[in-house]
Amino acid sequence: MVKPDLSVEVGPLRLKNPVMTASGTFGYGLEFLPFLDLAKLGGVVVKGLSPRPRRGNPPERIVETPAGMLNAIGLQNVGVDVFLNEKLPELRKHDTAVVANVFGETVADYVEVCRKLDGAPGLAAIELNVSCPNVEAGGMVFGNDPEALAAVTRACRKATSLPLMVKLSPNATDFVGTALAAEAEGADALSLVNTFVGMVIDVERRRPALANVTGGLSGPAIRPLAVRLTRQVYEAVSIPIVGMGGIMEARDALEFILAGATAVQVGTANFVKPDASVRVVADLESWLADRGIASIRELVGALEVEPRKQT
Amino acid sequence: MPHDISTPVTRNVDLGHGNFLLEFDAPEAIHEMEPAQFFMIRIPGSEVLLRRPFSVCGLPGTFDDAADGTMQVLYKVVGRGTALLASLKPGARIDLLGPLGRGFQLPEGNNDRPVMVAGGIGSAPFPALAVRLAEAGFEPILLYGARTAGDLPLLDWFRAHCSEVEVTTEDGSVGERGLVTAPLERLIARLGPDRTRLYACGPDPMLRAVAKIALSAGARCDLSLEARMACGFGVCLGCVVPTHGGGPDGDEGYERVCVEGPVMDAARLAW
Repeated sequence: MVKPDLSVEVGPLRLKNPVMTASGTFGYGLEFLPFLDLAKLGGVVVKGLSPRPRRGNPPERIVETPAGMLNAIGLQNVGVDVFLNEKLPELRKHDTAVVANVFGETVADYVEVCRKLDGAPGLAAIELNVSCPNVEAGGMVFGNDPEALAAVTRACRKATSLPLMVKLSPNATDFVGTALAAEAEGADALSLVNTFVGMVIDVERRRPALANVTGGLSGPAIRPLAVRLTRQVYEAVSIPIVGMGGIMEARDALEFILAGATAVQVGTANFVKPDASVRVVADLESWLADRGIASIRELVGALEVEPRKQT
Repeated sequence: MPHDISTPVTRNVDLGHGNFLLEFDAPEAIHEMEPAQFFMIRIPGSEVLLRRPFSVCGLPGTFDDAADGTMQVLYKVVGRGTALLASLKPGARIDLLGPLGRGFQLPEGNNDRPVMVAGGIGSAPFPALAVRLAEAGFEPILLYGARTAGDLPLLDWFRAHCSEVEVTTEDGSVGERGLVTAPLERLIARLGPDRTRLYACGPDPMLRAVAKIALSAGARCDLSLEARMACGFGVCLGCVVPTHGGGPDGDEGYERVCVEGPVMDAARLAW
């Protein structure tokens, strides 16, 4: 039995396998060294980076929900300079694609961070976070509106020659419209989806469970929603898609790949099982091997929607 | 360094009033823990998604009647996760991530009197600490407050292992009627603030009151904090508390209970 080929190309970004870790669930990667070998991952997407460090939202910041969790962290992060000086030099020692997730409150913020990251040794790509639901300015403000999204994508495209991935918000009214806008302005790939805005109420106290009132819903609860959006976007665009939303195991990743994703990101599962991402890689390989499938690329978008003939 | 371990439950002792002591086989890799360090625990295959944090209650050697190589966590049934935990029988497996966080440190001065202040189920980290203190030659004192008599798990154990135990209950069903802060103020006055080394764990309002008394008296006070956590090892940023010095420029900001804590100096908290 030949070992199946797991390598994929997300536009100009080559990955040894289709499994990345989702921003905000994997710290700066180094926190996971006690649990896994980063070199086994296709890629690592770090916590959203802003021009300057951010304190984030007051607690309570998280609450568990049925088959998921709601969070409103507010993009607490060390800022792009500390990332470049302290985190990246350690992270790039590991043979995996390092992707920086970029966040700003204004277009100028996004451009500033992209410029600083451009050409940084060991950085493989940039993911634009235009879809964080938990900050007052920036984030989802860009992700909800195709025109605003086009403007920030255009500006960042000019600011960096690194592969550029735009992470879409499922909260946009015209979701496919935002995907088309990012594609038209030169995005190399789309990652989808970020969290769904939700709310949990403590009925005894008559107060929201989170200090931010609302938060972003992630975990298995959102998976069917995310798989469907992946299919919808796959049918509309011609650039590669990185799918995510409640992937806990290899079968979940395969749903996204069959729907049209070239690669996937594992998110909330990293909190529950720190080695969840590398388990997905190993199980994907044996799933393909068991079925005699030579390459994961054969499965991208290979969903069959015609009714099967009666036999 | 934390380990991700699947291990069998050896006992799940019902202490009454919803309090349980869960005992499990502890591989040698995790035997070296500090009191108040914690585990993230989940039951494989359960509907509950996230693990729950539990501080270590018993290290190997803490409880005389424990089987060799076991450890214990003390918990109270408060929701879905802990109700499931209470249903576990010996032989059932749990997923355990740990040891995590920074625990209690022993007193710096040989003449220090360690005083443990517990509120109800907040007594969880103190058996391990009491034994550590005694091994190091200290005579630990326990101030144990709760709403009512049933909320004082392991009280008999503490009476046998601490040099002094003072109990308060809000309803007066056992010990002095009132809050644990009353005997705390008397004790600091008796021992003197310089010699008093405080360790506190319990509900937030109790910790705030203890911190206030300790800081105004000038006594060193470490708090073991509790917070909702998704990961327990520093990446979700869900469990933060406001601190002096936790901000980007060493100013006020947020620090993680799971990594910078759960034990924090009362003076560091920006409550």
